[in-house]
Parts: sequence; structure tokens; C-alpha cells
Amino acid sequence: MFRYIFRKIRSSYLKKENERALREARSGKDNSAPLLPDLDRNLEAVKSILRDSSDVTFHEFNFGHDRRYRAALVFINSMTDKEEIHKNILQPLMFGSLLLSSDADMDFTQIDSIRKNLISITENQKVSLLNDLVDNLLTGAAILLIDGSKEALAVKSRKRETRSVDEPATEAVVRGPREGFIEDVNVNIALIRRKIKVPDLCVEKLVIGEKSKTDVYIVYVKSVADPKLIEEIRIRLDRIKIDAILESGYIEQFIEDDPWSIFPTVSNTEKPDKVAAKILEGRAAILVDGTPFVLAVPMVFVESFQSVEDYYSRPFLASITRMIRFLSYIISTLGPAIYVALTVFHQELIPTQLLISIAEGRERVPFPAILEASLMIFAFDILREAGVRLPKPVGQTVGIVGAIVLGEASVQAGLISPIMVIVVSSTAIASFAVPAQTDSGTVLRYIYLALAGIAGGFGVITGLLVTLLHLASLRSFGTPYLWPIAPLNLSGLKDVFVRMPLWMQSKRPKAIAGNGRDLRNQGPELMPSPYKGDNSDSG
Amino acid sequence: MRKKKGVTIAVIVLCVFMVFALSGCLGGREINDLEIVIGMGVDKDEKTGNILLTAQIVKEQAVGRSSGGSGGGGDEKAFWNVSSTGESIFEAVRQLTHKTGNRLFVSHNQAVIFGNDIASEGLQKYIDFFLRAHEMRPTVLILIAEGRASDVMDAKPDTEKFPAMNIAKLVKTYGYTSHLYKVNMKDFSECLMCSEKASFAPLITVSDNEGSKDVFVPGMAVFKNGKMVGKLGHGEVRGVLWVLGKVKSGVITVPSPDGGGKAILEIIEAKSKAIPEIIDGKIIIHVMVEVELSLSEQTTAENLATVPAFGKIQDASEEVVRKEIMAAFKKTSELKADIFGFSEMLYKKYSKEWKSMKDNWDDIYPTIELDIDVASRVVTTNLLRNPASPKEGEK
Repeated sequence: MFRYIFRKIRSSYLKKENERALREARSGKDNSAPLLPDLDRNLEAVKSILRDSSDVTFHEFNFGHDRRYRAALVFINSMTDKEEIHKNILQPLMFGSLLLSSDADMDFTQIDSIRKNLISITENQKVSLLNDLVDNLLTGAAILLIDGSKEALAVKSRKRETRSVDEPATEAVVRGPREGFIEDVNVNIALIRRKIKVPDLCVEKLVIGEKSKTDVYIVYVKSVADPKLIEEIRIRLDRIKIDAILESGYIEQFIEDDPWSIFPTVSNTEKPDKVAAKILEGRAAILVDGTPFVLAVPMVFVESFQSVEDYYSRPFLASITRMIRFLSYIISTLGPAIYVALTVFHQELIPTQLLISIAEGRERVPFPAILEASLMIFAFDILREAGVRLPKPVGQTVGIVGAIVLGEASVQAGLISPIMVIVVSSTAIASFAVPAQTDSGTVLRYIYLALAGIAGGFGVITGLLVTLLHLASLRSFGTPYLWPIAPLNLSGLKDVFVRMPLWMQSKRPKAIAGNGRDLRNQGPELMPSPYKGDNSDSG
Repeated sequence: MRKKKGVTIAVIVLCVFMVFALSGCLGGREINDLEIVIGMGVDKDEKTGNILLTAQIVKEQAVGRSSGGSGGGGDEKAFWNVSSTGESIFEAVRQLTHKTGNRLFVSHNQAVIFGNDIASEGLQKYIDFFLRAHEMRPTVLILIAEGRASDVMDAKPDTEKFPAMNIAKLVKTYGYTSHLYKVNMKDFSECLMCSEKASFAPLITVSDNEGSKDVFVPGMAVFKNGKMVGKLGHGEVRGVLWVLGKVKSGVITVPSPDGGGKAILEIIEAKSKAIPEIIDGKIIIHVMVEVELSLSEQTTAENLATVPAFGKIQDASEEVVRKEIMAAFKKTSELKADIFGFSEMLYKKYSKEWKSMKDNWDDIYPTIELDIDVASRVVTTNLLRNPASPKEGEK
């Protein structure tokens, strides 16, 4: 049914899209016109395109010996660094000693001679088409137009308000780098380059979004990543025809493998060290300008349970915490369902003493267990949603009210049994242990709960089987989602339930980087052992 | 193509829902609607001769209050003994719903107690329901009341909230003395299927000590063909358990070698082996028992932790074990009840001869000769090496 609705929406959308494209083709014919050697007419053309934008500055000036050349500088006030324009474009042009001397025999109607001799900003570009000019202008470049030249110079003197590189709020670590990505993609690329200093770190640029013209970068290491993977990413990104990309989530939803799955097949992170690690394993990162969240593909299920800190701390605690994360995910999805299944369908499985205390707690509760559980989980989800969006002081109030009203008062009033409060709160706490799978966990919790309420343990097992089948059928950019568990890969299993010491993890993941290349990522026999000397007795 | 896909999805969804509907697992019951039965007693109704069934039901609303103790009304019982009569046990169970209002939930039943009159009549026709009903567990403990089962279930212990749980605990901790043995419905019914072998079940009785009623286990009831034929005392039960190899722990008291007091020994480990042999038509059973003991207490000033003293203690303890086994065998010979399972051993080893013995086994059993070989070892004296007494040299 959903597919049907979706198809309807899509077909009507496609129809509108076609009409729009036709209209644009008819009206926008002059946009691709070349620039003319006449300054006034060029300015006129630009002005007519941007006539409703009040923040565009058109600065006409003369320069050169005897002020014999006419020129104009066009830029958007809010997006350019005016000081830089003054210092590096206007100053050299108007007061440069080279120009003022009478014996200069250069032709300054040629853009190239200006660019090579006078402009001291390195990031500049010649443009000869009107719509190229406008595009550059809108991305924050200052455009230098010279009378008599068929070309203009776009000088990038962009000014951007950026945040400093902070510790990401969603992925705080105890041990590990405290830097996080920011909204400026150039800074983000720099953060990655600082970790991987090889010439074959490729940074491919694409511009997606007809209105937003967002810069999207594919970053990967050529000698490690599978060329087929990169090709697939390019194909999927090229498909995207959309007005605007406002966040990497837009990209994610257009390139994922199974849009109807509740499991994410594209991972995201705010941490440069995490992205660097993924790139070095053969994955590709997709950076989107304007957001600190960087995508990485392909993604496997067990990735959600790995944290960067696992690799920075010694393997023993890391292995325990990893198993705790797997357990937490099971608790967070199955906790209420198993409680309902046991208390409503399989009372004989509960130890006698526990059954008596559960029965005692439920004595005054007027609702069936399934309703009781749904109410509590629903209340928790409301609390979480309310708490996340609010400023910190108010958020705390929500927490306190929730704890007192839901935890204490509802039990005292006999609406909820105390054991249900324990079940739901432990479920809630467990659900925070695996942030990458919060979405799927929340959805599964409701589904399993409903199944438990309908058919008890049988329903839960049915649900688990369907989930397992679905997980096994998923792929992310060609990699099986359950790798390395299914298909089984022993070398990959070193980093799933337990985190083996780094010197034992000597190979890159085969399913991701396995394009027939050498998978080794470290030298042989790296197990540390103290220096034994030359066999002579030291004592 | 697209249309077909939609149909497939619809069929799958329909199938999934049908699986739920057809499974028969949909009988969910809220805990509030259950009456949790933790003990059952079966007696004979004196007037009609029907079955009088007593069920011990948890009173949920009283559990917290009676355990809290600080509030008023701490005297309230956390259980409810409700009884009904019927011609069969199942009928009586269903009759109980007239009084409880809710269906009984018997999966958590801890113990089934049969009254003395029922046990003498024969348990065979009463335990069928307990094995057949799907909610009943075959591991439920079986006990025989010396009087009426309902009286045993009424005696409220001071530390436990529920009499039935207390009774189950008494039996489950048999290992500390090995004076009784835990028998559940499954074990008991297995013994019933064999006509030569006798079975036993713990007895339970109420003793009235100055107004406070205590429940205790005085021994085991011996069953032959489902009928109770006699009782074994504590020592006799351990005699049986020595042979069966079921002794876990317990206390053996022997006189100390100097005759000035007693040495009290704890059984740490016991192993046994019984091998039948037929010599000239006479059945001899070789019983070999190996016991490891520890010196747990002594009432004499002499230091018992010496090699000669140990030797004497071991000899004395072996004699105690031998006497216990003989006493048990003597008692069962009188009852003609083969509680040791000698018939099975003979059947396995001398299957040809067994055929002729089978029919008059009751007469043959008392003539069996036991060849008992006990080897005991005192392995530790626990924390003390010398007793707390003045040294002999300083006298």
C-alpha cells in the first residue's frame, strides 16, 4: 500500500518536474550567453539577472597609467571579505607601481596579464560565460570585469562564519582526539588530510542541488578502496536531481540500498579519526558542505557496535564493553516484549518467587500488561523527544517531572506496576548504548511488543526470524550487511564480539577492501615482546 | 509485474496473520486473573468417601504486607487454603473455581501431599492427573502426610510465608543429614511401573510444641505396588541411601578411642557399589561403600588427630555404616519391599535365573545375604589440630 502511494506521489512529482524543466528551457536561454568585450553591456546583463538582490555591489573604477582602463568589480557584500578585496584586488590594480609606470607595455585588457601580474589571491578562475559568472558570484567570489575583455576573473575571497573545531556533542570520548567536524567542508577535508598523508588520498568534488549548489566530496584512498565501489558511489550521486542538499542526511536517503529498511546502510559520524579509520579500511567518505556529519559507505551491521575508543584503549575492557553494547541492543529491543510474553503467556517460565512479586505488584493495575508496557514506552519516547529539543535547564525539569510523575506517582496511584517501571527504564538506558541503531531499536521495540502482546513468545520468535532474514538480505554498496558473521569471515570476526589486540588485526576487512589487493595493513609478527638480548645471561 | 508484486505482499501479510490466528498460542492470561497454586493436598472426605482436594493459593495483596511486618495486620496470612470435593482430582480442581473465581494455575506447584488414608489405599489411581495435566510439572515433590494433608498445609512456619514452600525446602535440603530423600512425581511414577521394586516418599507431620505448630519430616513411607506398607526411620533411610549411593552429607557419631567421650564425624563424600552374585542358589549382594569423613567435633580432651586414633575412629564409623545398612535391610525384609532395587540388579546380571525368581520374589527377598564392605577415611580435622585442652605433659 505504501509503495502504491509512493509511486503515485513520485509520478506526479515527475510530471511537475518535466513541466518545470520545459519552462526553464524556454525562459533561460540568455543565461548561457558568452561575455562581450563591452563592459557596460556585461554589467547590464548581470544587473538584469540580479536586479532583485540589494546586497550586490557593482563597483566601477579606472586603473592603469592615466587611468586609461575601465573595470568593474562585482561581489555580494555578505559573502565576501571586503578587506581582502581592498588589499588584494583594488590596491594592486589602482596603486600598483607596475601599472602606474608609463612604460608598462602590457595590455591590461587581457585578463591573463592581470591575473598573473597583479592579483595576489591564489584561488581565482577565468570565466567567459554569463552563467558561470553568476554561479561564481553566488558562491562568494568577487568578479572583475574589464572593458574590452571577453573574459572576467572570479576571485575567491569568500568570507564564512564558521564554528571552531570542537568536541562533537554526540560522540564524546574519554580517550581520543577531541576534535570534530564543523560546517565548513574545507576545514573537514583538512582534518582528514592531517590524518592520512598519502598522495593517493583522492578528494573528488561534485556539485549537487539545483538551487543549493552544494559541494559534495568523495574522499577515499585509491590504493585501498575498491574502484567498483567508487564508481557505484559516483553513479548514485549523479542520479540525485534535487533543489537543495541541506544536510548529508539528504544524500544518505538518496543513495541508500534499501530505503524501506529500518536499518541504516550508510553510517555517519562527526569524528575525523573515525572517518580516517574507515577510509583506511577501504571505505569511502562522503563530505557535504554545511554539515559536520560525514557519511561513510559501505556500512556493516556490527559497525554500529564499534566505537573509536575500543581501539584506543587496551583490548580487555574494550571487548567487555563491546559485548555490553550487543547485550544492550538486545535488551533495548526485546526487554518489554519478553516481559509481556512471559507475564501474559508463559507464567510457568518465571521463577516462583519472582512470579509472586510480579503478581503482587500488578495487583491494583487495571490495564492489561501490553497496554501498560505501551503506555510506559510511549511516555518515555515523549520525554526523550521533549528533553532533546529543549535548552539544558528546561530539559532537566522535563527529566525530573518525568521521573516523579511517571516513575513514582503512577506506581503509587496503581496505574503501573513497579516491575514495569524497572523493565522500561532499563530498556531506555540500554537504548542509549548503541547510538547508531537508535532508529531501528525504537521501531523494533514497538513491533516486538505488539507481537508479544498478540502471540507471546511465539510472536517474538517470529519477529526475530523475520528481522534476521531481512538483515541477511540487506547489502550496503555490495557488502553483505551482516558481514563478517554471515557470510562468515574468521579474520573479520577478530573485531566483532571481542576486540582482538591491534597486532592481531593485521588485515583490512575482506568484504570491503577485497578487490584482489593485498589486505595487509601492518608488518608481520608485531606482537610486542621485551628485548631478549643475545642469549647471554643478564643476571 | 508491479501488480503481481502487490499481490505477493498481500499474500505474505495474510499468511503471517493466519499463522498467529491458527497457532493456538493466543491464550494469553493476565497475571491478575491467575490463582497461583503453590501446594496441593489430597485427602479422603470422611463422610462421602470422595476426594478432598486442598489447594494452597498465593494471596498477592497480602504478600507485601505480611513480609513488611512494620504495618498493622502483620498477622495476616499470605496464603489461602481452599478445598473442594469431587469424585476425581480433576473434578475437584475444577470445583475449586466456584470458590476462587479464577482458574487455578498449577505450574508453580511445589509439593503434592497425600493423606495417610489415600496412601494406604494406593496412590496409583490418584497420581494420573498430576502426570497427565499439561500445566503440572513432573518434578513436583511428592510427600505423604502422617495424618491429614490439609493439617500439614495449615501449619504456618515463622520464617517462610507459604507452608508449601517451607515443606518443599525441608525436603530439598535432605543432603545435610541424608535422613530422608527427595522424591518427585516422575521418580515415584517410574517406581510404580515396576512390580518388584518398592518405592518411597518422604513423610511429613505436624508436631505441636506448646501451641506453635512445626512441620517436620520423620522419615520415609515405603510403597509396594503403589500402596503404603510401612515407614522407615531416619537411620534406616540413610541405610538405604548408603547402598543407593545417594548419601550427600550427614553426621556419624562414634565413641572416642579413649572411651572418655565421643568423636563426631561429618560425611564429606560417599560412593557405593552393589554387585549381586548367586552361589549355589543363594543370592549374595556385595555392597562396597567408600566414605570420606572429617572430624567435626569431639567431646574428649584427648588429641584425636593421631594415626592410631584415626584408625580406631575409622573402624568404629565403618561399623556404624554397616549397622545402618543392616537395619534398613532388616526393616525392608519384614515389609518384603525391595527398596534397594536388588531385583533390577539381578535382572540385569542373571536374567535367566531371574525368570524363575520373579514370581516368588517376595519370599526370596528376605533370604538375600548382604556382604557389606565399608572403607572409611578421615581426611581432615577442619580448623583445629589439637583440641582446646591442657597439654598432657603439663599435668
